[in-house]
Amino acid sequence: MNRKTILQTAALIAAGVILALVANAFAPRERKLAMAGSYPNALKVPARETAPTASILPTRVEQVPVVPTSTTASETSTTATQPTATAAITTVGLNPAAKTPAAPATTTVVPVPHPPSPTPPSEDRFLPHPDKPYVEITFGDVNTLHAKSVLFLDARRTSVYEQGHIAGARPYSVWESDIEDKVRKLFDERGDPSAQALPIVIYCSGGDCEDSHMLAQKLWGIQFNNIYVYKDGFPDWQQHGAPIHAGANP
Amino acid sequence: MKRLLAHPWLTIRVQIALGAVFIIAALPKIADPPSFAHMIYNYRLVPSPLINISALVMPWVELLAGLALILSVWKAAARTVVAIMLAVFIVAISINLFRDNAIDCGCFNVADRGKTHEQRIFDMKVDVFRDFGMLLMVGQLWYAGKKEEDDV
Repeated sequence: MNRKTILQTAALIAAGVILALVANAFAPRERKLAMAGSYPNALKVPARETAPTASILPTRVEQVPVVPTSTTASETSTTATQPTATAAITTVGLNPAAKTPAAPATTTVVPVPHPPSPTPPSEDRFLPHPDKPYVEITFGDVNTLHAKSVLFLDARRTSVYEQGHIAGARPYSVWESDIEDKVRKLFDERGDPSAQALPIVIYCSGGDCEDSHMLAQKLWGIQFNNIYVYKDGFPDWQQHGAPIHAGANP
Repeated sequence: MKRLLAHPWLTIRVQIALGAVFIIAALPKIADPPSFAHMIYNYRLVPSPLINISALVMPWVELLAGLALILSVWKAAARTVVAIMLAVFIVAISINLFRDNAIDCGCFNVADRGKTHEQRIFDMKVDVFRDFGMLLMVGQLWYAGKKEEDDV
């Protein structure tokens, strides 16, 4: 390859870079990309799911009885391992990789087989779980949380959200440039620890869609500790004939 | 055979065909960079900070290389870019075939088409063969270009 070809090749690539930057600068919000995204599992090959969705074991968060003498210890331990929300966003920012899971002092996660006939979940099922970014749940639990007017976040693309979404859900596409702003806004809305312990349900398209898990990790990285991922996602919600809303508003 | 391979009649058609393929492939990616970023992410080969910038730049380079081939300008540079891209695609898809990570290649369509694992693996094999075919077309262009230089 001669010098002229090398220069022309470099010029071609440079022109591509310039055009890309200009096009992105003028792109509408839903088609714009942040220059550097944050995708924690970018190099991690996902394990192949062989079991059907119905046989996935849900996890149950159980409250472990705490005797009065150990309560202080557990509270101290929780405070020590969990920085305050403000400190977290300052030190961790929006990078979930910077947060290491802290062992919960008062909760344990016990896998239980999926019940053959769905029973309404009890109130204490949706307790905070600071040791893990999210808990996967199925339609029964999602419906219960929806009835309680819990915050729902739709991790699919905005264009898809506008075609139809779970009634009340907000658009939070992890692939669009404004995701960090939206996450910060949510953090501002729910800054104090008690608000961060409120349940949040995130969903995308079900199947092998990972966008909801990615968003859950982002939120967990800034101290939201009661996040649920609707494993089967919007198609499952539709199949159950649950309330759907179309358009740009929740 | 050698004369036939370097014949301008063939070279022009190969140039136009390759150029058209690259332009057609670039347009959906330019129209929807976030979806293409998602496709790149699915390959699990590109580090997190490079995913978005690759999704932005790669389609424009594809488009320019395709246009250069069709317009017959900067032919050597265009075929070099096209060859590098095809080699990258072949390696990336092959690695994922080896890892049994079934993905949509994102070559001409960046929408999630909801295929099964088996369908995706089959399509990936087809994509590798198709890219090898296009690499052969680049080989023809390279040979014709070299012959042209030698004749001058």
